Formats: sequence, structure tokens, C-alpha cells
Amino acid sequence: MAILIDRNSKILIQGITGREASMITRHTLDYGTPVLAGVTPGKKGMNVHGVPVYDTVKEAVEQHGVNTSLIVVPPPFALDAVEEAIASGIKVIVVTTENVPQLDVLKMLHLARKNGVHLIGPNTVGMINPGDRMKLGSIGGDNPERCFVPGRVGVISRSGGMTAETSWMVKRAGFGVSTSIGMGGDALIGSNIVDLLTLFEKDDDTDAVVVFSEPGTSFEEDAAEFLTKGGFSKPLISYIAGRFTENMPEGTVFGHAGTMISGGEGRPSTKMKKLHEAGAHVVERFDDMINVLHSVLTGKAVR
Amino acid sequence: MGRVLEHESKRLLGRRGVPTPEHRVANSPEEAMKAAEELGCPVVLKALVPVGKRGKAGAIKFADTPQEAYERSRSLLNMTVRHFPVEKVLVEEKVAIKQEWYVSITIDKKRQKPVIVATLDGGVDVEELVMAHPERIVTHHVDIFRGLRPFEAKEIWSRLGLTGKELLQAQQLLLQLYDVFITYDAYLLEINPLVLTEEGTVVAAASVMGVDDSALYRQPELAGKVEVGSERAWRPLTELEKKMIEINNADYRGTARYTEMEGGNIGFMCGGGGGSLLSFDALVDLGGQPANYTETGGNPPEEKVYGLTKGILSKPGVKGLFVAHNITNNTQVDVMARGIVRALKDMNIDLSKFPVVVREAGVNDEEGRRIFLEAGVEYYGEEITLMQAAEKMVQRMKEVQQ
Repeated sequence: MAILIDRNSKILIQGITGREASMITRHTLDYGTPVLAGVTPGKKGMNVHGVPVYDTVKEAVEQHGVNTSLIVVPPPFALDAVEEAIASGIKVIVVTTENVPQLDVLKMLHLARKNGVHLIGPNTVGMINPGDRMKLGSIGGDNPERCFVPGRVGVISRSGGMTAETSWMVKRAGFGVSTSIGMGGDALIGSNIVDLLTLFEKDDDTDAVVVFSEPGTSFEEDAAEFLTKGGFSKPLISYIAGRFTENMPEGTVFGHAGTMISGGEGRPSTKMKKLHEAGAHVVERFDDMINVLHSVLTGKAVR
Repeated sequence: MGRVLEHESKRLLGRRGVPTPEHRVANSPEEAMKAAEELGCPVVLKALVPVGKRGKAGAIKFADTPQEAYERSRSLLNMTVRHFPVEKVLVEEKVAIKQEWYVSITIDKKRQKPVIVATLDGGVDVEELVMAHPERIVTHHVDIFRGLRPFEAKEIWSRLGLTGKELLQAQQLLLQLYDVFITYDAYLLEINPLVLTEEGTVVAAASVMGVDDSALYRQPELAGKVEVGSERAWRPLTELEKKMIEINNADYRGTARYTEMEGGNIGFMCGGGGGSLLSFDALVDLGGQPANYTETGGNPPEEKVYGLTKGILSKPGVKGLFVAHNITNNTQVDVMARGIVRALKDMNIDLSKFPVVVREAGVNDEEGRRIFLEAGVEYYGEEITLMQAAEKMVQRMKEVQQ
């Protein structure tokens, strides 16, 4: 099962003929994930590693019944690509594009919510479900097995790279992942921690979730409130990077665009405190995750 | 994200019909004096720096005579406001104020909509007013597709108590401000104070504007007028930081952001937004002192890695180098290795006295390992974690400093 993608996902890649998208397509196919169609305006009739290319998403839906789209287009075209996918009835959309203008992001998020579409990103590495060998995005690169082995722990990360490293820690602890998701490093994103926990709560194949967080935004504070209200009842393991930024002058930004601490909001120490009080297992040192996973999951059928 | 200096933001406001005080930009006390003569006294003198809360910082002064404008602009030009040296002064006609209002448009990240905040208690710290008197503030979220409708703009001011000619002026002005906000891809547009003059007209007396630098490609009019990255730093760039930007810009492949820390002795070159935060935390927690924060990723070519490494190591006081990336980062480890090793050799670094610890696991890491080990660099792949690598770095620093 896992969340958002599984063997029933019928995948489309928008912008498939681009350099980056072509590489992602090859890695995705090599992993065993079927990619049914691609779209690049004006390139109908081509194929990318055997995947047929169409001019419009509508054609791809008619020909292949695609229901899931990976968007790999330059920033000026990202909004239109999302609008096209939503207008064509696609229900799961991953936007990898970085540096999309904020006003465009507001528009795509608005449309996604209005139409009941799960939108991940923008600026995301994507997601992977190793049990079904399904991946959407550059996640795992050419060697997903290195970090992502099948199991029953969900992973949510603000950082693309740390989606892999965190899943690798789960593997080191002797467990595996159900779905690992890079939610994107920006402050304006389609699916936040609460949105994803809602899905993991309902997923019978996920027994616990690990979240990798950073300073900035209120995603963690919102997650703590969600836990307190009983929205997520499985064990939640949290690590928050960037505590050192609290000693830097206000407004300093390291790492992602969404990591800014402003006016006391977004402090890792506050996030840690709130999550702890809400019953999450807050890990002080990243490496302690291995022991915490052991103590939390022992006795559970998580392997 | 980048700030637009006040005279530029006022020019943009003016283009959309928003009334602003007449102004000149002065580069010297002489120019300020001349501007004061032309505009007629009294005048307002403001430091042109890309930071907010200038009033509190003493960076806004008044002058009743051209001679005063000379003296006060001279003291402004000697100031540094929140680490930004004042190089220019805005000289403005002083409007006769009857009332000071406030209006701002920003993006509410949580609600994911543009949000308008307005109050008739302007000229003050609005954050404090929100806490003390929330009833004196109106907040309105805008539907991004529908935009701000004229009746909504009217309602905002009407709820605050305006009526008659003032209401209609404020409504018109708010619609123009929203138009500026959307047209120029702003993320912040604040008018404080928005002034009702003695003559009964409404004027944007002070404006603060920030523009989304991701959208600059479609804003030719703003070319060169946005202090790019001014929202990311707490001070102007250092010489080395400027040099590192040149190195980064010399090739579009791969990205690197170099930020100098005060003091420190460990050169820091780590990858990924999250991985670099974790690595920095780990060093600091263990008592290490990073001398800079360099985040690299996205496959920089060898020449860029070489230039960055040399830059990082050139900062006085740097006595070691820590390089770490998270696993399966798409960065090619062998390319990183060649760039780093070449820089170390070029700088005649004695690795027995200058610890270099590397933790890289990803594309072509076998070749990377060979290059690092051959050069005598302490290299780790996925046999250890990022934190364990940081521990080794701090340990090695202690050994060589004894």
C-alpha cells in the first residue's frame, strides 16, 4: 500500500524531454517503475527511453489513463504545467521545479486544494515506495536501494538529501520504509507535515513515521497540535536540524529558503518542545534515531 | 528575496498612481543641501539602506534649513544601519501630517494567500499594536485568482471608521498598492505611515518593498534595482563572500553559497540544505568552531570546487577542512575529490598539521575514495554517519592543536 503512489499509479512526466527529466526517466525505469507517458509541447511523436511523448496532458490521459504526474519544467512554465495537469483530472502531482515565483506557487496550491489534488513540492526530490518499487522524482538517483529498503516506517523530510540519509538511518537500524517523501524546502508547499501524517495515519502498512525538520515555518508546531488532538496516533520520531541558527542574527538564512527564523517564529527549540509535549519522540542527536527506532518499534511488526 | 531601496519603490508606486512626497537622492552632504533648497524646507532625510525599522535605528532625520540638511545628511552618511553602511540619503519634502495610517501587503505563508493589514494607528510598531489592540486592525486575505475587489478595499477602510472623501481616497490607494504588489512580484509592500495631510489628501510617506528574486526574470524594469539576497543576510557581503559569488557564477553547474562566520577555525563545505544544517550543528555541539558556512550541491564542476576550496581555506585562522554530503546526493564524488585535492596541493597544505576530514557517499564514490586516499586525506563513505564524521573532525582539530 504505502501512501500516494503504489502499483496502481499511472505515471506521466511533464517536461520529459529535458536533460534532467530524461535522466530521471531512465533512473525511474531502471528501478522498475513504469512511466506510461511524457509531455513536452511540440515534441509529440518522440520517445524518451521508450516512453511516448505527447503535446498535451489531455492526450496522455486519453491514451494511457495517467493519474499521477511528475513535473520537471523550468520555473516560468511550472504554474501552467500544474494547471494543465489539474484540468486533465490528475490527482497526485509532484513539482520538482526550484525557484518558482511565489505568486505562481500561491496559484498552484490554491488550485490543488480546490480540486482535491495531492500536490507535493515545489522544489522537492519526490517520493519513493520501495515495497512496490515505485518512485516519483529524482529521489534515490541511480541507486535507490542504497537507502530505501521496503518496510513499515514512513519518512517525511523538508530536505531532499536528508530524505535519503534519514531512510538510510532507518535501514541501519534494521528497518525499512513504506513511503519516503521529500516535502520540499520552501515555506510555501502543497503538502506539509500534517497533510502527510493524515495519509500515514490511514495507511495500514505504516507503523511509525520519522520526520526530518529544519528551522522556519510552523509545520512542526502544527504537527504538534495535530498530535495533541489525536490526528496521528502512531509513534512519531522527530529530528530538527539547524539549532545553531538560533544564535545567529535574526533574518539569517542558511540552507533552504524556508528555514528563516523571524520574530521568534520557527525556532528549532520551540518546535522540539512542542512536539515533545505532544508525545513525539524528539531525537536530540541525529544518530540517536537508530536507538530510538529500536526502543519505539520493538515488539511491533515493523520489519 | 530582495529589498528595493525606498526611492525605487516610490518610483514604482508613482507609476501606478500612488501619491508620494517629492524627493531627491543625495550621495553627499552637498547634494543633500542642494536638494533641500530645491524641495523647500523642512525636509526629511532617510538613510537608503535595504533594512527596515530605520526610524528606531536613528536613520531618519529632519532638517529645517538647507544647512541642517547638510549636517544631518553628513552624520547619516557616516552611519552603519544594522551593518549596512549608508552610501546614499533620500531627501524628501516633509508633508504636513494630520493623521498617520498604516497598510501592508504580504504573503501569509500559513493561509497561502496575500494578506492586507491596515490600521488608522500608523507610524508606530504595528507588531506591538496587534498584540495590544487587535480591534484597531483589519486583516483581509485576498483570493489570488480573483484579486482585490474594489468593494473589499472599501470595506477594509470603512471597518476602520473612514468615510467620505477620505474613504474613497484610501480605497483607491489600496487598489493601486495591491496592483503594484502583484505586478512587481512583491512579497512585502508596507506603507508606514500612510499620511492624511492637513490639506486632506492621502500620501504614501514611507514605503518598504521586497521583491521575490525568483520572479526577476519577468521583471525587466527591476533589473539591477533589487538588493538580491538582502533578505538572507544580516550584513553586507564581505570581500571574500563577493569573490565566492564570482566563483559560483563563473559556471552555471552546481551551486555554492558561502557565508563567513565570525572567527572559527574549521573550513566548512557541506552539501544539501538539510545535511549542511545537521553537519554544522554537529560540529558546534562537539565544541568545533566552523569559520564559514558553505553549502554545495547540484554537481559543481572541478574548477568550481577547486575555487571554493581555495576560498574557504584562504580565510585567516582556518586550520582544518570538513567536507560532508548526505548519501545519494547527486553530486559526483570523484569530481569533488579532484577539485579539493588540487586546491590542497596548490596551497601546499601539510595534512599532518592541517586536518581534512571528508564524508562522501554517492555517485562515483569509489573513484572519489581512491583520489582522496591517494592524496592522504581522511576519507569516509557510508561506513559512518554525518555526525560520526563531525566527531572525527573535531577530534583531529584537538590533536593538532595540542
